[in-house]
Amino acid sequence: MTFNQPATENFEDATPVLGTHGSFTIESIPLKPLLGDTPVAAVDISSIRIGETETGMLCAIRGAIVWKEKGRYKYLRLGPFPFHITEENKKEIYNLFRHHYFEASEDASAPSLINMQTRMGNLLERWLQLGISCSAHDSIILWDGSLTAGTADSPVKVISQLLEIARNRLNTVLAFSKTTNLRLLGHRLTDLAEKSKPPCLLQISGFPLPSGPVFSLGNVYVAKLTPGICSFRLDIDKKVPRERVIEAVQKLLGSDFLIQSYPETLRLAHIFSTFTATEVIGIQRCIAQQYGLKIIARPNVRRLLFGPFGKDFEG
Amino acid sequence: MRLYKKEGNTVQILSFPNDNVEKGDYLLIEDPRVNKKLITQVIDVQFANVPGLLEELLRDSTTEQFVYGEIFDPLEVSSHMNYIQDAWMLLCKIRGTIENEQLGVNVSWLPSRSKSGVKKFPISSLLTHMRDNGNLPINIGETKEAFRFTINAHDLDGKLNIVTGKKGTGKSHLSKLLVLGLIDYGAKVVVLDLNGEYTNLCFSSKGEKNEYHDRVHVLTPGVNLKVSLAQMDLKVMLNILVHALNLPGTSTREFRRIWQSLQQRRVFTLQELGEAIRNWKCNQHVRDALFSRYYSLLNSGFFTDNVAKAMAFEEFFEEIRKGGALILNLRDVSSVDRQIVVEYTLGKLMDLLNQWKIRAVFLFAEEAHLYLRETYWDDIVTRMRHFGVFTTFVTNQPDTIRENIYRQADNIFLFNFTNERDLETVSRAARVDSETVKSIAQDLPPHHCLILGKAVKDFPMVAKVKALDVQTMGHTRLFFTDTN
Repeated sequence: MTFNQPATENFEDATPVLGTHGSFTIESIPLKPLLGDTPVAAVDISSIRIGETETGMLCAIRGAIVWKEKGRYKYLRLGPFPFHITEENKKEIYNLFRHHYFEASEDASAPSLINMQTRMGNLLERWLQLGISCSAHDSIILWDGSLTAGTADSPVKVISQLLEIARNRLNTVLAFSKTTNLRLLGHRLTDLAEKSKPPCLLQISGFPLPSGPVFSLGNVYVAKLTPGICSFRLDIDKKVPRERVIEAVQKLLGSDFLIQSYPETLRLAHIFSTFTATEVIGIQRCIAQQYGLKIIARPNVRRLLFGPFGKDFEG
Repeated sequence: MRLYKKEGNTVQILSFPNDNVEKGDYLLIEDPRVNKKLITQVIDVQFANVPGLLEELLRDSTTEQFVYGEIFDPLEVSSHMNYIQDAWMLLCKIRGTIENEQLGVNVSWLPSRSKSGVKKFPISSLLTHMRDNGNLPINIGETKEAFRFTINAHDLDGKLNIVTGKKGTGKSHLSKLLVLGLIDYGAKVVVLDLNGEYTNLCFSSKGEKNEYHDRVHVLTPGVNLKVSLAQMDLKVMLNILVHALNLPGTSTREFRRIWQSLQQRRVFTLQELGEAIRNWKCNQHVRDALFSRYYSLLNSGFFTDNVAKAMAFEEFFEEIRKGGALILNLRDVSSVDRQIVVEYTLGKLMDLLNQWKIRAVFLFAEEAHLYLRETYWDDIVTRMRHFGVFTTFVTNQPDTIRENIYRQADNIFLFNFTNERDLETVSRAARVDSETVKSIAQDLPPHHCLILGKAVKDFPMVAKVKALDVQTMGHTRLFFTDTN
């Protein structure tokens, strides 16, 4: 999931930081590409703040599904969907999403206005992931982020259900995190693969299990799939046998292009969902025209107070 | 459209494709607070530097070849995004102001960026504001808005004009329009017609005699344009010998004596001139030099001893006393003979003007560099103009006209040029900034002309030159003919 503007609540923040105590082992698993034509699908979404009104905020979300099949990439872009969220309607919108996506019947309390944009993005992302899990078969499904569950917009039940549907249809979910806060002995997890010979997976066993409501439903790996400086945290469903995990990553190597260890399908999903500045202006124009809103620049308080020293963006 | 930026006399205006603005169009920036309007002209249309555009294009180029897909956009937001991507930035030059409905040139004020409105200003409205009381309109064609476009014959009177553009863009066509337009108001026109393009102006496109048949006279040197030595002035003859035939100084002095002796004897014939040179006591080299020039004069066919065949320019001008054109057909005339004829013609014109036998004459010179000697260029823009020779140069090689001619030109009718060097040359014209010339002329379609100068009150305007129902003869002869 991509945020064009800094978000205060996202998955990585919710990810538990692993302790450095206890015994653990790091195993390097060398990989060989399994050439073939395994379908690869990826999902990503973006959300962006469009502006503010007197009563609330304007935001937009967009999702993208990209899949590679028979050597060709295809995509489906959904959106952009602009929303005007106010204190009055936020609960209604939030629960509409939840009921529709999670098929949850009970109402939940809506997050604060400032977190609504992120939450709605997450809900759309889960819905798209569910759609792919249900429709794909014997495929590799790429998620952007981790398999962390237990947050409001990623309930354990929902994520477990998603993974189960995928497993039942012989799909394997590979969740790539572009950044991670996980550290081992003070080192960033992804730095552990610096000296490994690609393509390989580093499996870290013996992690102290995090306590509390937020935990990961996947095993954590470090994936260094191509030569280069990049390696990524890769979460794979715990309930998938080790052999199938390795086979899935090897199929990914044989079926998709990888640049700097990152799958092209997921990269495209990111590109197709991300908002550019032009698009933001276009959405603003659309809203202004359709709803008769007049766009005015809000005074930058920092600039007003500090003049040339008020450099930070007034969000 | 919104006013974005002003630098010097250039303003930038944000626009969108559906505003349908093109280079050359006029825009009015109206500031309601001060009741003033700024008149600007679009000289270039660029894409607006919209943030994030590069990412858009990169994303699109990624998808074009290898990735196929669909967009589910029920709210049709994408159309608005595309609209933003296609935004234009119009580069405009400030041409003047309208204050209390009066056209002015005071552009020392700056319109409000937030309050000002920008709208198209049709040339027809601009012309109305000019309130040109000219009573001698010459119809050139039409504006982009299909409005009849005329210039005033007064704006060609006493003026120096240039018609230029690359081959096949319609220069000669416009020149013919101007010639006929001037004739309509009784003007006397002399055309130095290099390629015989004007010789059929008196016939319609169907080959029938037209209204100009009695007013257009074609003079072909050696055929119906011959002169006797008796009609020649010594000064004109010396000009021919020195400038057209490159006679050296010593030989010129001897020729002057020979001429004076013939004058005393009152025997001005070619035969007598030949005899005089043969019998003249002088250096053999001088005699040879004189003889070679004598034979050049003889072989030109322009001179005759038969008084009945010799024509006087006075008679030609008498024939067109109510307005008309003398077309000097220089087609199939050798380079040297061409210069002889032009020297004679210009000398004679000056003579007639000096004596007030004619009031003024409009001279149209096609590719003048091919027959006009160096010293005439300055003469034409200074001395000859005061005597009543109002010249229009027509050329497709703008660098053959001197820079000072461009600087002093009152009107320039500019057709398409793509060559930057050509544009650079024309842009030296003092009546407009070089950016306007370079930018607009480069994109002019055929038969469209950018008019600069007094004829348009220094508001550069683009006009589509109208078709002419005369045999224009300007078409190139082709080998392959259309079998259909």
